Amino acid sequence: MDTFLVLILSFISIVVVNNLVLTKFLGICPFLGVSGRIDMAFGMGMAVTFVVTLSGTITWMIDHWVLMEWGLEVTRYVCFILVIAGAVQLVEMYLRKFFPTLYESFGIFLPLITTNCAILGLCLFINLWEINSLVEAVVLSFGAGVGFTLAICIMAGIRENLELSDVPAALRGAPITLITAGILTLAFMGFAGMIK
Amino acid sequence: MTKISNISKLSETFSAGLWKENPVLRLLLGMCPTLAVTAAVKPALTMSVCVIFVLTCSNIVVSLMRNLLKPHLRILMFTLTIATFVTIADLFLKAFMPEMSTKLGPYIPLIIVNCIIIGRAEACASKNGIMISIVDALGMGLGFTIALCTLASVRELLSTGKIFEFIVMPKFFVPWAAMSMPVGAFVTLGLILGLMNVITRKNA
Amino acid sequence: MSKIIYFTKQSWLLIVASFVFGLIIAVTNSALSQRIESNQTKKLFDLMGQLISGSERFSREYENVTVKTAAGKEIKTDIYKAVDSESKTTGYAFIAEGSGFADKIKLVIALDAKAEKFLGFKVLSSNETPGFGSKISEAYFSNQFIGAPAAILELTKIGSPEKIDNQIVAISGATVSSQAVADIFNTYIDTVRDKLTKGRDK
Repeated sequence: MDTFLVLILSFISIVVVNNLVLTKFLGICPFLGVSGRIDMAFGMGMAVTFVVTLSGTITWMIDHWVLMEWGLEVTRYVCFILVIAGAVQLVEMYLRKFFPTLYESFGIFLPLITTNCAILGLCLFINLWEINSLVEAVVLSFGAGVGFTLAICIMAGIRENLELSDVPAALRGAPITLITAGILTLAFMGFAGMIK
Repeated sequence: MTKISNISKLSETFSAGLWKENPVLRLLLGMCPTLAVTAAVKPALTMSVCVIFVLTCSNIVVSLMRNLLKPHLRILMFTLTIATFVTIADLFLKAFMPEMSTKLGPYIPLIIVNCIIIGRAEACASKNGIMISIVDALGMGLGFTIALCTLASVRELLSTGKIFEFIVMPKFFVPWAAMSMPVGAFVTLGLILGLMNVITRKNA
Repeated sequence: MSKIIYFTKQSWLLIVASFVFGLIIAVTNSALSQRIESNQTKKLFDLMGQLISGSERFSREYENVTVKTAAGKEIKTDIYKAVDSESKTTGYAFIAEGSGFADKIKLVIALDAKAEKFLGFKVLSSNETPGFGSKISEAYFSNQFIGAPAAILELTKIGSPEKIDNQIVAISGATVSSQAVADIFNTYIDTVRDKLTKGRDK
């Protein structure tokens, strides 16, 4: 029961309290790029959730069972990025073969994900927070994806309304998105300290 | 004759990165480190130096092996090269600037996925000779440095009243703590981009 | 057979590059690893020197002391000993960690030679809210711990920060961070004190 509670807490923590986009500045590029329409944003969020869960789990396993056993921590970054690139490629091939409709809807997002900082960032943070159980690592990876989807969908919802409002000419486009994101981080700061 | 045109091409490549194609302020690339490490000037500068180092090295290596690259293994080679140099930069930081290394934490390895570097490898180094690649890397790196330092000095000045850890604001200045939080990063960058828009519109 | 040739033709550059890059990393690592390790202990010893006055040399006294947190997790820490120029023990110190408001807080906590009093703490790393939680490293809060009895500490909201006892006055606006620091002290103190006093009796 206790471990279950710990898992739920770490899930909530990564989704809202330590939201990767709004408190750690990870995955800002897609956050600004594809948050124009809410269905696109949701598609991107799903794709990221998929890849981040997979790569977070695999990197944890490699880190703990191979790199730390053999004292190869120095090659950690190289291994992590190769795992992520490989995971993206695998997911792409798998989807194209077995779920062509899903592949169509993910479309251009998949190759973009390799350079999404949220994914490598999460793998590094799992290592930094010294997560010692595989289950917790899986939950954290999945939660990070959910948190990313949450943030990007909220942003897309706001931007759809923003199109109708009268924004000063100089701030149109990226600047007003950034400022909105800033105000959004203030809202998410309210969650800080919720979980100890 | 060819020499002169060479030099003018080099200087053009160099200056493009500074203003016209400034990676952060114009192309909106590499936003993660831009927002994350600019709470003060010193970490911002360290970050920029690391990025310049990695960018130059990876551009050189990619440019050297540009004729050997196979199209579908290209991206993999780029990431491998970049990850190697980032690891080296990280080791050097840990050895010679341990304080800074713990402060920047995971944002140093995150240089690997900085879109600027892989973008330059793809757009410039895999098509051009070694000289142009180096100059391009330096120009882009310097443009990145300028953007980061501008943002960092505004934020550090307003959040602590200091720049580069020297006190510059008068005594009655009340530090504006929000500027060193995430909200300060987003709003300041948004306003700087808005300012850029105003300037370019006036010139045009 | 032709398939193998095809594969090698496609990927020889990747394989060669992996070897070369691996070699470069290995060389840099072997050149710098010693320095990186000494940096870590040097920072710890610097902070210990600031906390424990008159100390000259530092050494590791106990390795892997297991401490149980309130949440039931087990953490391991090392206890270090500081001695003065006549190799008399001046105090002990250990690295302690716990969760703060936003992220993990890591402290160096120092005890006197008899393990009866705290000699204060220094923040090794923290990510508390700037302007509020970050005040835990400021003197008016951290000085309360210097000379406090090495026992369970209590956090109060009113009282005098100048009075040295086991009552710690919280920073207004940063109660959670203050509580986190006090909790970190409380998590470790019993185990560490037992270890030190037992070691002395022998």
